[in-house]
Amino acid sequence: MTNQVKASAVATPKKKKKIPSLDRKKSRAGWLFVLPFLIGLVFIYFPILWESFSYSFYNYTTVKGIVTKEFAGFQHYTSAFTGDAAFAQALLTGLKEMAFDIPAILIFSLFVAVILNQKMIGRAAFRAIFFLPVIVSTGVMESVMSSSYGASGDQMDLGMEDGEEAVEELATSTALEALLISIFQNLGFGTGLVTYISSAVASISGIINRSGVQILIFLAALQSISPAIYESCQIDGATSWETFWKITFPMVSPMILVNAVYTIIDSFTTDSNSVMQLINNTYMGVTATAKSVSAAMGWMYFLVVLAIVGIVAGIFSMYVFYQRRD
Amino acid sequence: MTQNMDNKPQVMRESKNKIRVDFERTSLKERLKEKYLSSYFAKNVLWYIFRILLLIGIAFVILKPFYTIVMRSFMAGENFADVTVVNVPRAFSAIIYKSIIIDLDYFKVFFSTLALSLGCALLQTFSCALIGYGLAKFKFRGAKAVFFLVILSLAIPHGTMQSAIFYRFQHMDIFGIFNFLAGGARTGIEGIDGILSKIKILPENFVGGISTIRSVVPILLLSATGLAFKNGLYIFLLRQFFRGVPDELEESAYLDGANTFRTFVQVILPLSIPMLITVFLFSFCWQWTDDFYIPLFFTGQPPAFMTYLTKIDEIPITLATIYTQVTHSSGMYKKAIVYGCGLMTCAPLIILYLFCQRYLVQGIERSGIVG
Repeated sequence: MTNQVKASAVATPKKKKKIPSLDRKKSRAGWLFVLPFLIGLVFIYFPILWESFSYSFYNYTTVKGIVTKEFAGFQHYTSAFTGDAAFAQALLTGLKEMAFDIPAILIFSLFVAVILNQKMIGRAAFRAIFFLPVIVSTGVMESVMSSSYGASGDQMDLGMEDGEEAVEELATSTALEALLISIFQNLGFGTGLVTYISSAVASISGIINRSGVQILIFLAALQSISPAIYESCQIDGATSWETFWKITFPMVSPMILVNAVYTIIDSFTTDSNSVMQLINNTYMGVTATAKSVSAAMGWMYFLVVLAIVGIVAGIFSMYVFYQRRD
Repeated sequence: MTQNMDNKPQVMRESKNKIRVDFERTSLKERLKEKYLSSYFAKNVLWYIFRILLLIGIAFVILKPFYTIVMRSFMAGENFADVTVVNVPRAFSAIIYKSIIIDLDYFKVFFSTLALSLGCALLQTFSCALIGYGLAKFKFRGAKAVFFLVILSLAIPHGTMQSAIFYRFQHMDIFGIFNFLAGGARTGIEGIDGILSKIKILPENFVGGISTIRSVVPILLLSATGLAFKNGLYIFLLRQFFRGVPDELEESAYLDGANTFRTFVQVILPLSIPMLITVFLFSFCWQWTDDFYIPLFFTGQPPAFMTYLTKIDEIPITLATIYTQVTHSSGMYKKAIVYGCGLMTCAPLIILYLFCQRYLVQGIERSGIVG
């Protein structure tokens, strides 16, 4: 701060009063830099939000190209729930999916980031492979990729022998799963944990494909931890397990918060999400109120997402550790 | 190490500033034993093996779909009727690719998508860099509110607002000014409406705003204002990056008489190239495979974009005869065609990625994203 004041004093020693101070200039420049976004907000985004909001409260009827709207109150909101029971159902499923996905993705991506951060042969190659889904498995490619994974459905098409083979394969995998479950249960892990892990393993390809950005962010966080801290830990005789929990984990905790929020938003807004699919299907519907109902669903869904992001961010930020610089 | 202590090293002074130390070195066998038969070494080896197995396993899960896609798309038609062929083709054939290039006009699709994606990616990178820089380096009232709005724009799924987005760009207008100037404004009071309808400054087709549907204008507008797909994420990443750039750089530029924008373009942008490449890569690839905005803005008439390549309804002419021959497994064959299309869609991206991927980690690494 003092430096900046000095800078302006040096630059304009005489006309100090006429020329605005550097701080003021900078704050003006700040507005100029975010101007594109503000223009977008005012002219495009807020109107869209408002439009969508009013869609959910009005009945739109188009007669000979003239659009008339009629206030409908909360009719579309209630009909989203009562008209077709699928919405409440999908919302619950979506929440359940999220409660399942988020810990899995966070733990997996942190683990992989820690491994990819260690020195080893072929690290660059592994990194390149691990970030491939971020680039490729999005948009239209998502469905193509997921349809080719496993391709067990195809094997059924291929004919009897392969069909049998596929069934056999499926049987062995479930037998293996059952065996594993029983082993872990005998070891004294809770049923809930065991089923959670086994289903996480079953959907591993989805988890891997969706944690690319998170791995990237964690990797960046790990890179920014000063090696001096690890060195001093080693000198004090800490094991790597202790170092992870006492140093690495607290240091990356701000990024755990960021990743948690990003993962929630990402898993809520992808097209493969069950609620998003329902909203899209409702939008495509033929009834006159289809678009209004879909907008109403969208707003309720958005409020739920925001509430969850708020709760999760609130809980996480209580435990986040921020390193004080200097 | 401990053995050395027993037979003490003999130190002799040879000259004024030269000493000579004689000691018996532990035998090679002993040293190797020390090194390789310790629990430390065993633990390291175990961890190494576990790690490499795990990484190979995960890499396999990621690469398996590509393997399937490549193999299936190169299979000749008769392989699909052969039940003993699963993933490795017995007879290679590139006819699917020939058909994609000729029948589906691949190069036209490629270049139009390239132009759109390049334009969008450049616009998005630049505008997100501007916005991120503004949020990172300038303290102004409302900066936090703007940042909150950025996160909000990321959090509201555009998929839930399709109709509103469509409507907005179908009736593009600035607070009804175009509508007013073209005489389309109505208040519901007859006298005023009569006067309003006489205003004819703009032509008739401006009534109700301009339709920008079936053009690239909406996508470019969204890109330029940092509101397109996942731009909130880019703004966040760039903001974190710029926060790590030392203030002294800008201060020295100001002292040399540069204004803020010139400082940004000539000092800040060149040193943030890895990060800019990361953002560019994301925006380019996500625009390339976009299947939300393009179908939304180009309703009715599918233009030549990659989005539609994998969504073929009809079997291309070149493949029609083969398709009728493999009636037994025509579903599989159609899938193989889709795989071929998919591979042709993402092949340019993979090539681009191979060139840019080292910047991907570098850019994020240097961002000092923590804190």
